[in-house]
Amino acid sequence: MRKLLIGLLATSAVAVMVTGSAFAEKMPKKVGYVVNYATHEWYQNVIKGMKDRAAQLGFEVEVKDANLDAAKQIAAAEDFMSQGVDVLIITPVNEDAVVPLLRRAKQENMPIVLEGNPVKGMTTLVAICDYDTGYHAGVEAGKYAKEHLGGKAKVMNVGLPLLSATVLRSNGFMDGIKTEVPDAVMVHDLDGGGNPDRSFEVSAAALAQNGDVNVIYGINDSSSLGGLQAWKAAGKSQDDLLVVGTGGEGLAFINAIEKEPSYKIEAAMFPEKVGFTAIDAAVKLYNKEEVPSWIVSPTTPMLGDGWKKYYSVDGNVRTINWDAVNAVKAPDKCMKTAADLKK
Amino acid sequence: MTTDTLPARKRGVSLSALTDNSQIVLIGLLAVLCIGISLAAPQFYSPDNAIAILRQCALVLIVAVGMTMLLVAGEVDLSVGASLAFTGCVAMDVTNRTHSVVLGALAALAFSGAVGLFNGLVVTRLKINSLIATIATMMILQGGVYLYTREAVQNHHLLDAFTAIGAGYVGPVPIPVIIAAVIFAVGYVTLRFTLFGRYLYAVGANLRAARLSGLRAERLKLLAFVITGLLVGVAGLILASLMNAGQPTAGRGFELTVIAAVILGGTSLAGGRGTLFGTLLGVLVLKIVDNGIIILRWNQDLQMVVPGLVIILATWLDIVRRRNDAR
Repeated sequence: MRKLLIGLLATSAVAVMVTGSAFAEKMPKKVGYVVNYATHEWYQNVIKGMKDRAAQLGFEVEVKDANLDAAKQIAAAEDFMSQGVDVLIITPVNEDAVVPLLRRAKQENMPIVLEGNPVKGMTTLVAICDYDTGYHAGVEAGKYAKEHLGGKAKVMNVGLPLLSATVLRSNGFMDGIKTEVPDAVMVHDLDGGGNPDRSFEVSAAALAQNGDVNVIYGINDSSSLGGLQAWKAAGKSQDDLLVVGTGGEGLAFINAIEKEPSYKIEAAMFPEKVGFTAIDAAVKLYNKEEVPSWIVSPTTPMLGDGWKKYYSVDGNVRTINWDAVNAVKAPDKCMKTAADLKK
Repeated sequence: MTTDTLPARKRGVSLSALTDNSQIVLIGLLAVLCIGISLAAPQFYSPDNAIAILRQCALVLIVAVGMTMLLVAGEVDLSVGASLAFTGCVAMDVTNRTHSVVLGALAALAFSGAVGLFNGLVVTRLKINSLIATIATMMILQGGVYLYTREAVQNHHLLDAFTAIGAGYVGPVPIPVIIAAVIFAVGYVTLRFTLFGRYLYAVGANLRAARLSGLRAERLKLLAFVITGLLVGVAGLILASLMNAGQPTAGRGFELTVIAAVILGGTSLAGGRGTLFGTLLGVLVLKIVDNGIIILRWNQDLQMVVPGLVIILATWLDIVRRRNDAR
């Protein structure tokens, strides 16, 4: 009987220790997220990831949309601070505009997690590596070109030169494809504005100027799809074409992979995982734990049906497979960042 | 004294000649552009490029036909870009649900026609300036499309007839170009040879005089708004077919391209003056400039700069023309 009692006590003690370690971190009551542009699919999925993770951990995330207005973003952040949220997460509309806000937050001991781009004076940033994303997709594109396109890669880049993130993706793609096909060339370097109709228009003109292209790379899904539609509208066959998209933020790329014979590679950036990671960083900051200044969120190229490993689709609803996405390893640091573009 | 005034008069005469013969100037400009670009890049004259230019002109021309009528009547519609995107989403969604291209097309026309009717009623009944009213409609539509769909409406119906609307050909001619040509011809006849067309000029030139003559100016303007709306519906349907999806983010800045083309073609912002032939030339000039920038591999930011400069230049020419008319 005594032995049984001791055994029970010991088991209870172990159970309390295990449970205690799992809930060692205090949870914030409320986290505020000021998103730069909530209508974009990418940010809708970031928000979804945040809300899913916060629900798992048992607290609430409130979201305010700056709608690409830096002044509105500051006002929304100040609202959150006066409401007394425990942690703020911000995707800056303009990096310089949030510097005074970071200063004020530090004075008031308000922890802030940034998402997207680094800002002077930040504590921590959750972001993907844009160059690496393009690079790994480029390597896969090069392998495909060697196997199916006779070892030639003539690339039409439907890019967005306005943003350093998208320039890094395009640069990464070309560097990656050259590891497999050293003679790969960029035939067209276009500004598709990140929009499908603009991408279509500039691609149509570029293909008319020189249609000797066998790889279309888009810095997001709208860009790659705009390029592909221009290709189709020009009456060209998709037999010797490879289309590579970036982002994987909605259903568009899944539809394209399923229905377009040339759409073979998608550089997945897992926006839900970015939201998930931002919430984990917020909890760590709330508990005054050490966090790295740059937390990399993973990306990976998805080949053909490979998207099914990470997502399932029911009608118009896309569901992330967290186990598979959480298993994707993120690099410790990015191969190149925006700072490298200035060199 | 005489020597001081003579050069000034001479300048006025040359400007007057320039503005009165604006279509000849545009034809000359087109010729210069085509020759200049093709000398620098011979691919400009390739059949593929000609088709690409014509297809790009088609969408703008279809809506520009309606916009010309509106501007002639002294009104403007800045919501056409936002309506274009929304209409494309409606067209694709209804076609997905019904598996009927006809029902999808009718839904697109009904939606965009209703937007035109709404704009017309706000302007003619509530007496709100069309610039303000249609900016408000643009905002409503840009927000509303995200309430309707958070992401692009994908093509799940896979109907060949739907794809053919935007990407199909009759012989070597793209179907959107044929649609645009038919709409242009009907619009040309309507504006030039029918009572409705003549009344629009009368209403735009002098609203008070038109009313005193017994014209129902508000009803005519309302009709011009509805026609513009319906033409946006046609363009939206073509765009959804071309993009193989209803894109809520499409059409940004489309209204400015359309208005720039119309006023470059000689249509007065003050109403009462303008021709569809001029609009056609305006569309061709803008789209050839757009195409030339890519063909010549110039900085694509110029594609935004050029329509802006065109709007300033064409508006100034319109002011000069009206000043000459007043003398």
